[in-house]
Order: sequence, then structure tokens, then C-alpha cells
Amino acid sequence: MSSLLLRRLHQTPRHLLVCEKSHARHAHSRHAAHVRDHAYNCRVSFLIPECGMLPEVLKSTIADVGEYYVVRNLPLHELVAHEFIDNFVKKGSCYALTYNTRIDQDNTAALLPSGKLILSVDKDTYEELGLQGRPSQYSGKKVMRYIITIDLTDSSFHPDSKKNKRVLWALKEKKPLKFDFLLAWYNTGAEGSTLMSYFPQNQIRSLKPKITFSTLRDLQCPVLQSNELQGKPEESCSAEELFEWLGAVLNQVNNKSSNFVSTYCCPQPSTTAEQAFLCTITGFIIPETIIQLLEKLCCYFDEPKLAHWLTLTVHGFADSPVSWRESEHGFHKGGENLYNFVVFRNLDYWLQMAVGTNDDCPP
Amino acid sequence: MAPPPAAFERRVLRSAAEHHYLRVRLELPDGAARPSAALFKQLVVTALRELHGEVGAALPVDVLTYEEKTMSAILRVISSGFVKLWSALTLLGFYQNRRYISISSCIIWEQ
Repeated sequence: MSSLLLRRLHQTPRHLLVCEKSHARHAHSRHAAHVRDHAYNCRVSFLIPECGMLPEVLKSTIADVGEYYVVRNLPLHELVAHEFIDNFVKKGSCYALTYNTRIDQDNTAALLPSGKLILSVDKDTYEELGLQGRPSQYSGKKVMRYIITIDLTDSSFHPDSKKNKRVLWALKEKKPLKFDFLLAWYNTGAEGSTLMSYFPQNQIRSLKPKITFSTLRDLQCPVLQSNELQGKPEESCSAEELFEWLGAVLNQVNNKSSNFVSTYCCPQPSTTAEQAFLCTITGFIIPETIIQLLEKLCCYFDEPKLAHWLTLTVHGFADSPVSWRESEHGFHKGGENLYNFVVFRNLDYWLQMAVGTNDDCPP
Repeated sequence: MAPPPAAFERRVLRSAAEHHYLRVRLELPDGAARPSAALFKQLVVTALRELHGEVGAALPVDVLTYEEKTMSAILRVISSGFVKLWSALTLLGFYQNRRYISISSCIIWEQ
């Protein structure tokens, strides 16, 4: 018994890091698909070494980052209403995620651009709702959490269908659920009503993502070789080393210290960049925006630049019910689900996708 | 000649991170002096020693960032010592012989 406890003391919670390398212009490259599959993103940061001023094209891309909306106290059945489905879900990519709800304690809901509404609810709510679902993968032997998936665009979900009526009845009368929602809608040009005019004015508020810029001086950067994902001793650093270094940079860790307080230092070999440009966008950022930004970042290397590579880091919401696609996501100890691109001068790229304990392997 | 574009490669690293990271915040009763970064590190080592003895105190822990104003820090610990560090911080209850304190923590990212 005691040896088992001792062993547990040394165990670490499961976590996964997937590293891929490929070329951005490769016909089969999946980089855009990976971005698209990760629906809910709360923070996007990019770091360009040896860059003092942002090129105009990137400036305007950042300025164009779309707004998102917060809707307070929205009854969940409003997202299942046919007017909403016809106007928004079917006419573009509609993203919705409950706000200030905790995935390991509260009921949460998320609407994916594919038209799937995912509810992650506790046992009591599940029983009261009476909708068909499945036990959560991560709720242990005694199931305390259930996942209900409703496909709003399915042909069997038309207004007169039994299924539709039952869902509406369950959400309206049986167990009315209300949430604060984050909403975003992306449509390609088609005219139509907007979310702002669809919801009552006193309920909805539009927000602009918060953008911060900073210039880092004399930044020690690891040396990377695009075709050496695992690094080479004395020649280049590995993807894992880069990942840790980047975390340190984004959290403003002083990476020169080597003393009593911290022994962390930049992985070797490294070079010193006189300056590096760091931009962070926080909000409810949809994949379409990130794909656009990534594309513009690739174009950064169209003209000769001093930088050998740049990075784009995207953090997912810790309390989202899904990570990639419809893969169930749980919090466990940190709820991390994030990915990072390293784009090299020749448009080779590395992609790192990381998840914590209660997650499937990223795609 | 430029080297050919990188061929696709995928590696999956399972629980392979060398380090784990914690974001922690120290809560002291009103009026208590705020520790400096070095004292904060000392406090972490004391916590480890109290619960896990000298073996615990020898665990490599780094204080990556520390903000004195909010007494919040990001800690890095070798993965095998993660549970030890978390438990030690949770159970620590004294600072400079005064009863206080709680350290609230959450992981920021486990690689």
C-alpha cells in the first residue's frame, strides 16, 4: 500500500504534446485544418525576432480582427430556435461558448460552426432534461457528468420533427437553462441580419479583442533548423525546448538568471536578437481570423528578413467542453489546450499541439 | 541551392515533459511584510522540507517569475516532483512563525 502511494507521489498527470513539421505551401499540409478544428480560442500571440516595426499588412490584419459578442442570461433554447438556426447557423460559421462556467462543476454549452450544439451537464440536470446523451469520458466510475450533442443542421431536426419539439420542450419547460454566452459569427459576404440586431439590446454587448504590443530587447532566441524537429546536439534546439522557451517569453520570464531563485536559461545553441516584436490578442477569437493571421505571417518572409523564424501561439479556453473538433475536453488540473506554429523563412513550419489530462490526442 | 521543403513528420510525446509549471499566489494576513523573491523561494523550500524532509527540500524548483506586489509567482518543477510540490504548498500554514497563509495554485501549462 505504502509503495503504491509513494509511486503516486512521483507520477505526473498525463499530458500530450504533438509535434508536426511540414511545409505551408504543401498541397496536403493540414495546418489550416488544425486551426479550423480548434474552435474556441482566448489568446493569440505572435513573436517575430529581429523586428522593430510591424509591416503595414500585418497591422491592418490585426486591426481587422473581428468583434465578438457577450449575451447575458440567454436561455439556451434561443440557440435552438429555428429563426436563429436559419439566420446564423446555416448562413455561416456560428460560434457560441458559455462564459464564466466551469467545465468540472457547472453546466456548460458550446455551439460549433458545424451546427453541433454540445451540452456538458451534471447528472441531475441530465436526468431532468431527459435528452439522450452519453457519459463523460472523464467522470470516473460513478458517472456524474453527461455530454449531449444536438445537430442543429441535421435534416431530422426540422421545425415539425418530434426531435425538435422534444428538445425545445426540454430546454424551455422541463429544465430551462440560462447562460452568459460568448458569440461570434463569420459569414462570407452574404447580407442578412446581424447578431447585434437579433438579440435584445440590453442583453447583447459587442466587444473588440484586446490587443497589446511590446518590443523585447536583447532577447536570447534558440537556434532552430526546420528539418530537425528533434534538434541536433550543438547545432539546433528541439521542438520541446522551443516550446518551453516560448512559454517563458510569453510570461516575461527573465531568461538570463541562473541563481538561487531560478536556474532557467535559454536552451543552447542560441543567438541574441537585438529586438523582437510580441503581439498578444485576447478575446473570443475565431479560427477564420487565426488562419488569416497565419497566412499574413507567412507572407512576412516574402521580402528578405533578418529573422529565421517566427511563432504564433494560440491558447484555447480552459473550460470549453471540446478541444479539437468534438473531442471532449476536461479541466483536471489546468484545462490547457493550446497550439503553436513556428514558421520558418522557407515556409517550412512546425506545429505543436498540447493538451492536459482530460483530453483526447489532438488530431 | 535551397534545401527541399520539409517532409511531413509527426511525433507524439506522451507525458514526456521534463518540467511542470504552477502559477501560485501567496495570501498573507493584512499587514504582514511581503517577502522578496529570494524569501519566497526560501518559503517554497521550507514547505517542501516540512512535508517531504530533506529529499523534498532538494527538489529542483525554480521561481520563474515573482511579482512582489501581488505575491504571485510561476514555479517550475521537475515533473516527478510535481505532486510533492503541490502538496507541500497546500499544507504549508506558517510564515515567519506566524500563522497565515494559503497558497492557491493552478497549473498554467504542463507543456
